[in-house]
Amino acid sequence: MAMQVKPEQPKKIQPPMTPMIDIIFQLLIFFLLMPNQQAGEGYLTTNLPRTSGPVAGKQQKDVKRIKIELQVPENDDKGVVIVLNDAQTFGRNFEGLLAALQGLQSRGLPPDHPVLISPWMSCRHKWVVRAFDMAVAARFTNIHFAVPYI
Amino acid sequence: MHRKARRHSSESGAVSFNMTPMIDCVFQLIIFFILTSQFIQLEIEQVTLPVSFASKPKDVTEYRNVVINLVDEDDPKCMVFGKQVDYLVRGGDNELSSLLKERKREAGEGKPLNVILRADELIPYEAVASVMLAAGKAEIEGWWITTEIKDMDEVLQN
Repeated sequence: MAMQVKPEQPKKIQPPMTPMIDIIFQLLIFFLLMPNQQAGEGYLTTNLPRTSGPVAGKQQKDVKRIKIELQVPENDDKGVVIVLNDAQTFGRNFEGLLAALQGLQSRGLPPDHPVLISPWMSCRHKWVVRAFDMAVAARFTNIHFAVPYI
Repeated sequence: MHRKARRHSSESGAVSFNMTPMIDCVFQLIIFFILTSQFIQLEIEQVTLPVSFASKPKDVTEYRNVVINLVDEDDPKCMVFGKQVDYLVRGGDNELSSLLKERKREAGEGKPLNVILRADELIPYEAVASVMLAAGKAEIEGWWITTEIKDMDEVLQN
């Protein structure tokens, strides 16, 4: 009696897929989270100077603005000297500036009273932002930056 | 004598599904996120941002944004989408104001155009003022200054 021999079926080699899928999901989660690395950054919104139209570059002299001038000391080009309303000098003391601005607020100035931050051209950007912070902390909302009139 | 056909039972009760299309989809997603992150990095230059407690995180997707980077405190350069742009004020339009006007024209009736400034904390104000003037010439409506958010105490100690 002839015996039928079944031909051997070729063995299928199946590599283990589970670790590969785990790694792929790890990569996916990494790239999903990566765009969020810029978390911790915020934005200050401010008004741009008008460079066109009838009020372009002109100072509004009818309202006495609060002027915060940021000067650069001779011996330290990365430093700052704060001068408020051409009268009070605070050196580098931003807390003093904040107290002075809060004092002006408490005397009845409205929050939308114009505040002009007037840095010297060589003043560093960080001091300009710091002065803006102090004006916002004193609850002023109408804050402008002085720019050279062209 | 009939032999009843044997029902071939499955060798085991396990049910497996084909993983290959799933892996293909996941690879597509990975490639998408890689490319997206590269486009984001092109817009942003490495700068040391000034610290601020008054700044707030905002939803940038509400606007069409132009990110202007000011780098190199000793010789300030204006970088927009990885390319250096002339921003110096000369009375008329410069390269930056022309670029902003063009972007504003492209924005059209859709989302408003917004300028996001990323300036190094030691950049002189002269460079920032020049960028402000260029944006003013293009009559841009929104203007944001990027800072690192810190508490008030940390800012005053800095």
